[in-house]
Amino acid sequence: MIKHLVIFILLAFNNLSAETLLLKNATIYTGESDSALQGYDILIDNGIIVSIKEEVTESADVTTNLEEKIITAGLIAPFSQMGLVEIGMIQETRDDNSDLYSAGFSITQAFNPSSTLIPYNLNGGVTSSISAPSGSGLFSGLGSSFSLSGENNSLITKDLALYASLGAGEGSKAANLLLMEDTFELARKYDPNSNELQNYSLPNSIKYSKRDLLAVKRVIDKEIPLVISADRASDILTLIRFAQEQDIELILKGASEGWMVSKQLSESDIPVILSPINNLPSSFDRLGSRLENASLLNKAGVRILISSDRWETHNAYLSRQGAGIAVAYGLPWHEALKALTLNVADIFDIPNRGSISTGNIADLVVWDSDPLEVTAFAEKVYISGKLMSTQTRSKLLKDRYLNID
Amino acid sequence: MAVFRFISSLIIVLLAACSDLSDNVERKDVYVSTYSPIDSGVVLIKDGRVLTGSGEELERADILIKNNVFEQISDSIDVPEDARVINAEGKWITPGIIDIHSHMGVYSSPSLRSNSDGNEATSPVTPHVWAEHSVWTQDAQMPLALKGGITTFHVLPGSANLFGGRGVTLKNVWSRTVQGMKFPEAPYTLKMACGENPKRVYGSSQEPSTRMGNVAGYRSAWIKAKEYKDKGGSPRDLKLDTLKGVLDGEILIQNHCYRGEEMAVMLDIAEEFEYKVTTFHHAIEAYKVADILAENNVCAAMWADWWGFKHEAFDMVWENVAIVDQAKGGQGCAIVHSDSAVGIQRLNQEAAKAMAAGRRAGFEIPRKRAIQWITKNPAKALGILDKTGTIEKGKMADLVIWDLNPFSVYAKTEMVFVDGLIKYDHLDPNSPKATDFELGIIEPTKSRL
Repeated sequence: MIKHLVIFILLAFNNLSAETLLLKNATIYTGESDSALQGYDILIDNGIIVSIKEEVTESADVTTNLEEKIITAGLIAPFSQMGLVEIGMIQETRDDNSDLYSAGFSITQAFNPSSTLIPYNLNGGVTSSISAPSGSGLFSGLGSSFSLSGENNSLITKDLALYASLGAGEGSKAANLLLMEDTFELARKYDPNSNELQNYSLPNSIKYSKRDLLAVKRVIDKEIPLVISADRASDILTLIRFAQEQDIELILKGASEGWMVSKQLSESDIPVILSPINNLPSSFDRLGSRLENASLLNKAGVRILISSDRWETHNAYLSRQGAGIAVAYGLPWHEALKALTLNVADIFDIPNRGSISTGNIADLVVWDSDPLEVTAFAEKVYISGKLMSTQTRSKLLKDRYLNID
Repeated sequence: MAVFRFISSLIIVLLAACSDLSDNVERKDVYVSTYSPIDSGVVLIKDGRVLTGSGEELERADILIKNNVFEQISDSIDVPEDARVINAEGKWITPGIIDIHSHMGVYSSPSLRSNSDGNEATSPVTPHVWAEHSVWTQDAQMPLALKGGITTFHVLPGSANLFGGRGVTLKNVWSRTVQGMKFPEAPYTLKMACGENPKRVYGSSQEPSTRMGNVAGYRSAWIKAKEYKDKGGSPRDLKLDTLKGVLDGEILIQNHCYRGEEMAVMLDIAEEFEYKVTTFHHAIEAYKVADILAENNVCAAMWADWWGFKHEAFDMVWENVAIVDQAKGGQGCAIVHSDSAVGIQRLNQEAAKAMAAGRRAGFEIPRKRAIQWITKNPAKALGILDKTGTIEKGKMADLVIWDLNPFSVYAKTEMVFVDGLIKYDHLDPNSPKATDFELGIIEPTKSRL
């Protein structure tokens, strides 16, 4: 009996990962154009979108009628500790920070594809993440992108950005910036083939390892961007200047007062990762926080990426709520969707994801209603064309206690 | 000279009177509310779709406000003379939103060490501290919450302690004194905390370091409180005044408690010492004991979806609020709370998420029911349901006009009334009134935003 069950499950599983999958009669928000493709079909072959047409005539191994439901690309969490944390306050469940390394701390090898957080976020429509270190120092390390497939080969791109914070610690931001300049100068001159670690120009307490300097060097060589947290308008201007002087690619994270310097951000083509739900003047650096930030930045031509409140990972999918609020305060709906999908893929250079177009990987979400609504939920989630289970611990708990009698 | 003698004898009489009053008993006539709204006159809000909070959804109704209270709610009311008429056609109307779990004023924005006033984390038993004595009335979070429809909020001390101190219920109005915000005649509350926080804060140096240590701490304190009560509250002890108030049924227990089994233990403690738990806050596992809560007439205040920030928050289910609500054939008392100055601005959205999750689990939860999670039920749990929480004749005219269905992420408030007075109007750039802090803070010539 059990043997038969196993065989049955295996067969069912095989069906799900069929070579060709045809999704019929969808309302497609591609993420690229402003309007929906109503009643279109999507053909997926071996996990890749091969055709998007009003009527795909080819037959497929599996055909699913979506009955005009909305389908979008899977969300890409632009900043989280996905796969690196289980319980926030329990340090032994966290692999997202290090005292040993600074810039050179790569989180990649700690990523856990079986993290309990992944099913919850899949449920919310997130199919990949940029998982980043969370350290509070000037440099916190290198982040990587991952698929939330739950498979061991989840890594998409390793070490794709260096993370830093201007307001790190208690010291003056001016000192932090000086240290950043000195570090960049050192990294520029650093010769990895020499045995010398030239620490000549740095304050006594600062020591970099080879890894740290090589990570900074990759930013200098424009291989990867520097993602830096800052909120105050004047700090943002300082960082724009820094990026120009150093000739590096900058991505801003936070930017509560970004709207005040949106023109300068736009002119320098610096994208911004936002948590648009948070409008509190919670520090003297965020006095200008407001719900219109996303829409004002977008209007000025700044590319935006939308994250959850306080960059929270357990509910990273609530970036959708932040996006919805940004829409309520003036951001066009399709720009909000882009900020959850395509912009993240583009800005972090994640190939073939973030939009529904031919040649792209079929990371797709079918929604019961408008995905930016708080009442909406993901009915079906596909990663590389495979229908993912939406089972979670939470649902098992619910079922257990609904039937407690 | 005669005048001087008169004054000095008056002082002696007054001093004697004072010492009589303060001799070994708590005075109830100090720290009282001085909130007194100006007369609203007559306001008629016409043709709105009304979620009354009392269990109705009226597709099109008129609401008459007179002298700060609801006078009449019906299909069509003739415009009285001198009435201010507000056309709410196509708009949605709800009671003023109530947040039962806020730290506005005690953990203010900006968040600085100098105004971190929410936790007297110097001893695990501090029922003698009162949150209202920490409140900064000029917290910039308050007008933001008003814009989100919050007309009443309950400020609690933090959860470091077994007994964290007294909470206070405030009207969301600008005032230079906390007394000027205090909800008239709202009962005091007492914050208690279960679980991880007290044992984490104290465990390294003193009791409690375990959950059983927590429980021993509560019970020891209640034993003292019983003795104090038996002696008529004498000699005077500030800590025991508060605990005695609970035993006397005057102070309501608001109990931070995540885990199901801990809630059940807390109910046994209440049984042992003959007091009542009014509400379990942050009740992540309320769904595990929803029937027990309903049987004991205890409310649970919950988030829609927070989880995983600590171990006792690991067993979140999205249906938590709905399961509590539907317990014992709909006898449960479910509340959606924020504990967040971000969340308080959109409790309607948090309720919407919980409602949607409940519907997906097969429960029939109409909007008129879900709106009670953020209006009627918190009012009940704060002991103010006779005054606010629903749109019913005779109650304070606390009301919100929304541009859309408030269970939508796109909905915004257009007008917020507190006691019949418009405290926020989306067409008035000078509302809500900026706090003192916000004046000239970004540009010297204007207020914050």
